[in-house]
Amino acid sequence: MAELLSSGIVQTVLMGAALLGAISGMLGAFAVLRRQSLLGDALAHAALPGVCLGFLIAGARDLGAIMAGAFFTGALAALVMMLITRRTALKTDAALGIVLSVFFAMGIVLLTHVQGQGRTASAGLETFLFGQAAAILRADLWIMGGVGLAALGVVLALWKEFKLVSFDPDFARANGLPVLPLEAALTVLVALAIVVGLQLVGVVLMVALLIAPAAAARQWTRSLGAMVALSALIGAASGAGGALVSAAQRGLATGPVVVLIATGVVLISLAIAPERGLLWQALAARRARARISDRRVLATLQGLAAAHDDTHYPAERGMLKTALGAMPRSTRLEGLEARGLIRSVTHPPETTPHWELTSAGHREADRLARKTRAEGQDP
Amino acid sequence: MSDNHPDTSLHEPDQALHVEDLTVAYGSVTALWDIDIDIPPSVMCAIVGPNGSGKSTLLKTALGLVKPVAGHVRFLGRPVRAMRGQIGYVPQRQSVDWDFPITAREVVEMGLYRSLGWLRRPDARARARAMDALAELGMQDYAGRQISQLSGGQQQRVFIARALVQDAPILILDEPMAGVDASTEAIIIALLKRLRDAGRTIIVVHHDLTTVQSYFDWLVMMNVRVIAQGPVREVYTPENLRATYGRQLAMIATPAGDRDG
Repeated sequence: MAELLSSGIVQTVLMGAALLGAISGMLGAFAVLRRQSLLGDALAHAALPGVCLGFLIAGARDLGAIMAGAFFTGALAALVMMLITRRTALKTDAALGIVLSVFFAMGIVLLTHVQGQGRTASAGLETFLFGQAAAILRADLWIMGGVGLAALGVVLALWKEFKLVSFDPDFARANGLPVLPLEAALTVLVALAIVVGLQLVGVVLMVALLIAPAAAARQWTRSLGAMVALSALIGAASGAGGALVSAAQRGLATGPVVVLIATGVVLISLAIAPERGLLWQALAARRARARISDRRVLATLQGLAAAHDDTHYPAERGMLKTALGAMPRSTRLEGLEARGLIRSVTHPPETTPHWELTSAGHREADRLARKTRAEGQDP
Repeated sequence: MSDNHPDTSLHEPDQALHVEDLTVAYGSVTALWDIDIDIPPSVMCAIVGPNGSGKSTLLKTALGLVKPVAGHVRFLGRPVRAMRGQIGYVPQRQSVDWDFPITAREVVEMGLYRSLGWLRRPDARARARAMDALAELGMQDYAGRQISQLSGGQQQRVFIARALVQDAPILILDEPMAGVDASTEAIIIALLKRLRDAGRTIIVVHHDLTTVQSYFDWLVMMNVRVIAQGPVREVYTPENLRATYGRQLAMIATPAGDRDG
């Protein structure tokens, strides 16, 4: 591992992937909350013709020209999409699908055209499809760092405006906020993140780096600030992790590995995150069922006691079962007994198990009945 | 918006809301046709009409969220862009994602963003004002709650607190009673009446005809066009109800206020 880290190329890829993960994680959080994840996908695919145009205009594999071209066609795609949804009857998903495929098709046509020219320098262009981390240079890190800092600055400066526009654009507009420019700013930032990520992850997989960290972060957080920060962190960690794995194992492409790691974090988060995770919700549902079952046992015993005018009326197993529709698990009854709410008794001459409500049990049954009435529903 | 009047010259300043010749179309569907409405200040006004009658569109157009094909809107004589921050707006509750990671208090603070201005974050004073607004709606104990954990009625109260905190002379609410519990409805109505008595103008898109007479003192009945408008006791008549709702009416309510079956 130490050997790996001392390699200049690995260091560069590692830092580049982590930076990219942080940028796209931060901006992806807003994209996901605004339900615009797929806009990122369309923008990424639409960057491909720009990559080729940048190459054709510069006449060489000049990263500056390529990134400018990618940003240009990406922005153009966003504009076309906006016009389609506003001016025609097409819905957003259809507009996204059309723009994504048309721009991507143009990109592929241009790509094959460039490659058909047989110039040796064009050999590397297809790496923008799936990314090629090893092609990253030290100088590229400065560009990524600059974009990252700029994006962070804009997000911090416009924090409360972005928050409001993401949550309730109608209210923002009614309050006179320039909603369209703010939304455009968010879209431009996402486009920038995509352009930065093209070299590393490629146009096809870039969207995963926007969505996955944000989707994972949402599971663990309760505020926008925490979500954005954690999303950036997960993105950075996935990037670094992917870079290390692909460096340690020959023949593994960095970009796809980064995406797989980020997706793994999403799956884990969906499963185990507190409150929102599937596991947590299953446990909460079980606890709720148990609570309801306890309450019904206590209420039934209390009802039987009242009917027999005997506060410690011993109810037989079969009676409980008939009243409740099904016998609660014996562990539940033991639990109630351990809490001192019911007592297991014998009632000669019968030999079957009986239970009676203790005084504490009566109080608890009264309390739960009051609570149920107050809430008007099952707790 | 066809704006023939510059900001400075007031047009119909005696009306809290003045709508003239307003027509709105979505594609080939006419949502509002030649609407004229005047709502005087310090009333509590209900806007009623069947589904698809253009009630929400009217509010959105008045607020500048939807562009009209023709006509104009004035609040206290001014166009809406000169009144930003002086109109509290409560959108329909379903219009936002309640799973957004945010607390009730943060949502209310959004009502203060405009007055805070650019680059400034909500400070202690803003937080205190948000808490006061929440308390007005009996929601002070839920300030730190995630909005996703609130019931429908509580979410609605948070939304109203967000408009309330703006301290605006005009409040516009889109179906605030839709899907809320009885106690929330009582709290909201008591608050709105208090605000009305303090001189604010309250404009509510309302769907429950059985409560129109007890809650409101002004009424606009519409169905793409305006059918009738004025004080509730003059306007709430069987003829107007029939003209507004047509055959649906028998299933909804009778003017006497008692339910029909």
